[in-house]
Parts: sequence; structure tokens; C-alpha cells
Amino acid sequence: MSFHNEALDPAALPRWERVALTPVSRRLAPCHALSVMGRWILVAGLVWLFPAPAEELVRWQPAAAGGVLLLGLFLASLGWVEARRRGYALREHDLIYRRGLLVQRSRVLPVARLQHVETLSNPLERGFGLVRLVCFTAGGRGADLVLEGLPAERAEAVKQHLLARVSGTPAPREDGDDPA
Amino acid sequence: MTQPDPDAPALEGWQRLSPWAMGLLLISGGASLLRQHLPLVAGAGAGLAMVERIGLREMALGGALLLGAALLLSLAYYRRFRFRLDGDLLIICRGLLERREFKVAAEHVQQVEIHQPFYMRPFGLVKWQVETRAGEASRIALPGIRRDVAEALDRRLRPAGGVAKAASEPDEAAAEPARPAPRLRYRITPGALVLHGLASRSVYVIAAMLSPLVRPLERWLHETLPQTTPPAWLPTSAPAAVALGMAALLLGLALLSVLAAWWRFHGYRLHDDDGERQRQVSGLFNRREQVLMLSRLQVVEWVQTGLGRLLRRGYLVCHQFGAAGGAEAEARRFVVPGLGLADGRRLAGVFWPGLAMATPLARVEPLYRRVLFLRMLLALLAAALVGAWLLVGAVLNGESAGDAASGGLALRSLAPGAGPGVLSAVFLVGLGGLTALAALLAQLRWCALGWAREGEYLIVRQGLLGQRTRLFPTGSLVAVEVQQSWLQRRRGVATLHLHLANGPVTLPYLRAERADALANRLLAGVEAEGSAPAPSLR
Repeated sequence: MSFHNEALDPAALPRWERVALTPVSRRLAPCHALSVMGRWILVAGLVWLFPAPAEELVRWQPAAAGGVLLLGLFLASLGWVEARRRGYALREHDLIYRRGLLVQRSRVLPVARLQHVETLSNPLERGFGLVRLVCFTAGGRGADLVLEGLPAERAEAVKQHLLARVSGTPAPREDGDDPA
Repeated sequence: MTQPDPDAPALEGWQRLSPWAMGLLLISGGASLLRQHLPLVAGAGAGLAMVERIGLREMALGGALLLGAALLLSLAYYRRFRFRLDGDLLIICRGLLERREFKVAAEHVQQVEIHQPFYMRPFGLVKWQVETRAGEASRIALPGIRRDVAEALDRRLRPAGGVAKAASEPDEAAAEPARPAPRLRYRITPGALVLHGLASRSVYVIAAMLSPLVRPLERWLHETLPQTTPPAWLPTSAPAAVALGMAALLLGLALLSVLAAWWRFHGYRLHDDDGERQRQVSGLFNRREQVLMLSRLQVVEWVQTGLGRLLRRGYLVCHQFGAAGGAEAEARRFVVPGLGLADGRRLAGVFWPGLAMATPLARVEPLYRRVLFLRMLLALLAAALVGAWLLVGAVLNGESAGDAASGGLALRSLAPGAGPGVLSAVFLVGLGGLTALAALLAQLRWCALGWAREGEYLIVRQGLLGQRTRLFPTGSLVAVEVQQSWLQRRRGVATLHLHLANGPVTLPYLRAERADALANRLLAGVEAEGSAPAPSLR
């Protein structure tokens, strides 16, 4: 095994934190809020319709279901605000994705580690014209980065760019269609 | 790929498993089936025993039919199992109902294993396994081939110089220098093996495996003890007898753990074949040979359990792509057992040239210690409240249910003569004790967490009693995540999650600028290696 110990100037390294992120599609916010609300409506329905073990609890079931709905509404609102703040950036050597409202998470995935890339969308996302870009690395047990909220054309362009980088061929680039 | 040896068996044509493998497949398949479906088999057996119309003759007939079916299935599996080499590509066809064809290219092989259980030795057969960079899910086995065939496969599927070397030193790789003779890097001694047994995690694994026996044993003791006269040497006082029983239990667990270490690592030897290929051989009855390519190595872990730290012993675990976590998965990794501190450092330097583990570890921000203190205090308080609730419930059990709601009454019922002042004092002392304990644990955990950058390597140590130190080059990073909560943003700190081949490593509460700088440095390390071809699946 070879040993390298080249000196690097830390100040001259590219800084990921200074990269201007591109916001994801504005349609992600209602899509994400609807998705969250749908899950909580299901939970509220279960709370309302689930057979209560005691007679006294039956009259409280609608109120409990209402409480669950209110909680769902609050979380969906938070989800809306959070989705508006998401952003991503595609650099020469990596892909950056930031998400989170109270707890912000920024993930940087080097292109050199990419194994394959795929795009996914559920019916709700298709209704909003959105696509998820899922990136896998070697030997991983799941996706290493899921970029939500890209319009279908943009997701395809980013995917083709990443796949071209993985295979070592020049990235296909349409006129005026910069994936980042 | 290395040049084929003229004396080696020709593998270009379709090869079959050894005919003996059919019987061995039957044995190993049956044992595996029994092990995996033991409750189902036991239940079916009990059900059959309850049915009066089924006698011994019917059961023997059923058993013979099952055996015949298993023999026929083994024969069909044997006939359909075949493999061959096509250049540097290993092609394997197998399957009974579903025919499957696997192709493994030499450049994607990351680990080769040869197992020889005791029942295969008389036939000169081995079980040959290969794992690609897709991880453990990609593991393919040839169950029952001759040793010379296994060795020929090993030679033919050996990469010439490894991806990293080929990329970084093309001239050197192209020159193909003469391979040096294998060097013995490490050999385990009987004393080191015993210490490894005591210091390894096998004690806990064996204890967990035996835990279902506790209840039946307790019941058996309850039934038999009153009817037996205790031997004269047994202490008459109950506490002494309990202490003696606990000591015997711990001694038994330690003995089993040492036996497990002897079973797995007896005669352990680590050879450096050519500077790139590390080969280890070990095992008492089940001889196991593992080959690790250094160019495929991603992370090396120096592991010390709590007892191991007392005994100044540890072991190294080498991780490649697709390495799952957990004790069971760790047993399948390339493990170097029974190491003293100096041997551990020396061998870490063999796996990662230039790494001396001499750089003092830096601690994370003291704010993390306060966060840990608060978390632990809350956890301890919650545990104390639950404990007190259960205790009060037990005391009031059988008394008036209405009085149970009154906490003061319940506490007074625990200590009938105690006034409110005494109870307050007990409460304050308990709270103080919990606070001191939380502070101590937080301090110890904060001190245990450390990191350092040594040349192109990063060292991260974690753990309270047992400690794990991950050693990896900056180029081994798979992804990096910088996380900041609302509090962390206010205090200017950040948590760094480093995603590696064997899972994430977390560096909490670094100064935000430092976390960003480290992330940038690690990304630059990956990009420096990015000129090498991206790892790909088979």
C-alpha cells in the first residue's frame, strides 16, 4: 500500500459552508404538508374508531381524535416551513443537501463515492410534478442521500450529470440548463 | 490478475463440487435448517408425540421418507451446482427451483475465506467463500471443493496490485515487481488467547444466550433445594451462599468465553504475503483462513472492552465495504485477537502505513459535558421515580387503594416512625447522590470521547467502559453530515456525522468553524482519491 502525506493549505480548501444553495421546488412545501397531514388524519381516524376498552373512554374519543388532528396540523405547518428552507448544491466533486428547521442537517456526498442514482416518486409527488433523487454508495444498506423536491426535468438532469461523473464520461449538459 | 500456474487445476471448463460434498451438504443443510427452525421442529415433534395414532413405526417411516427426499434434493442441488473461470471472471450456476448465475470479477473481490470444518478434513475438502465490495449480501460460497482448487481460485482471482496502488502508482504497478516471501506479522500465544477470551465480548454474548435458562433453573432450584440436604462445605448463611453462587456463575461464564476464544482463534497466525495481501489462519476444529486486501481496507477499529482495559488487552477489527455492525457481524470480519497495547499500535501501523497512534486526542467542547450531564440526570431521575413508584406500590399492595394516591402517606408507610423532616432529608440526599452520579458519568464520557488527525488519518475514540478507536484515512469517508440544533447554532458548535464503510461515527459539539474545516479537509481527502475509479458492484 502506498503512503502519501502531501501538505495541504487548510485555508485554500474549497469550503462547503460558503456554497450558495439552490432552493428546492416551492411545490415541495404543500406536497410535504399534505403528506404529513394525511398520516395524522389516519392516526386520528384510528383514535376515533378504535374500540375503547372502557365505556367512559368512548365519549372522549372524538375529543382525542380532534387533539390528534390539531397536532397533525401543527406538524404539517412546521413541515411546510421546513420544506421551504431546504436547499441543495451540485459542485464539481460532491452533492450538498440541507434540510431541517430546528435541527439543521447538511449532508455532503462526494461523487467519487457514488454507486448509482435513481429517481422515485409517489402519486402525491407526481401530482405536484416532483421527483426524489436517491443516491447510493458502495456496500451501503440503503440510500445515502435522498434529495426531495426536485422538478422532474431538473431531477433527470442532475441524475444524468451524476451518472456521467460516476462513469467518467463528460456530463451531458443542455443549453442554459445548469443542474445546480 | 496473476499469471496462471501451469501445475494448478484447469478451471476454464465447468467444474462440479466434490462428490463427497453431497453428503456434507446434507449434514450442513440439515443442521442449518434445524437451527433456523428449531421452535417449529420442536412444536411439530411434540404435536406428533401427542397423536396416539402415530406410533414408532409410522414415525420411522416418515423419517425415512424425509431422509430420502433430502437425499434426492441434495443430489439435484449437487448436479446443478457448477462453476468455472472465464479469464478473471468466476461464473457460478446454482439453484434447485430457481436457477441463478453469479459472476464475480477479480477486481471486485474484497475478501476470500476458506473454511475447513473437522468433518471435511478426512476428505481434503474446504468451503470457499468470496465477498465483493457490495458487502456481506454479495457473499457466495462453493461448499465442498478440493483445497488445491480453492487455492487455484484464490490465486486466479487475486488483483495484481489493488485499486489504490494501480491508481496512484501506475508505473510501479505496471512494472509488477517480484513478490516478497510471506512474512509472519503476528502469532497468538496461549496466554494471550486466554486473556482475549476473558477480555472479549464473548462473555456478554454467552450470558445473553444462556439468559433464557435462568427461569427454568430458578424453578428447578425451588423444587429440589428444600428436599436436599446441603453439603457441609456450603456456607450456611444465605448471603454467603448467594455470593458463592454468583462467583461460580461468573467463573463459568469466563471459562466458556475462554473456550470460545480457543475454538475460534486457536493457532492464530497473521501473514503478510506481499505487502498488499494479509492472510490469517485460525481455528481449533473449524480451520478458517481469511484473506484481506489492504487496498480494499476502509476502517480499522481498536476495540477494548471494560475488562480488556483493566487487562491492557484489545483486538483489531478490519472493516471493508458493506460491513454490517453488531457482535455477530463483527465475528465475520477480519479480526486480530489477543493484542497488547504495543502490538495493537504496531499492527495498526501495518494496516495503515505511517500511522503511529501517537498524536494526543483532542476533546470536544465542554458544552457537550453539560448536555451529557443534563441527559443523564433526567434519565436517572426518571429511573428513580419509576423505582420509587414501584416500591410504594409494593408497600401499599393490599392496603386501601384510595390511600395509594397520597405520596406522603405512602412514604410514611415505608418508614412509619419518620417525620416530614427525615423524609425531606432522604429526598435531598437521594437527589444529591443522583446529581453527583450524573456528573461523574458525564465527565467520564466526555473524557473518553476524543479525536485527532495524524497525517492523512483520522482517529476517533468513543466509549465509557469499553472503548472503540476508529482509525481511517480521510479518503475512506463515504459522506459527511453537519448537524446544528437551535441551541448549537446559538453556541457556535456543530455535530459532525462521518459516514464510513462500517457505519457512522459521530463527533458531537465541535466548534462550528472547526467542524466545517474538518469536513472540508475530509472531502478534499476523498477528492484526492476521487481520481481513482469509483468502487462498483459486481
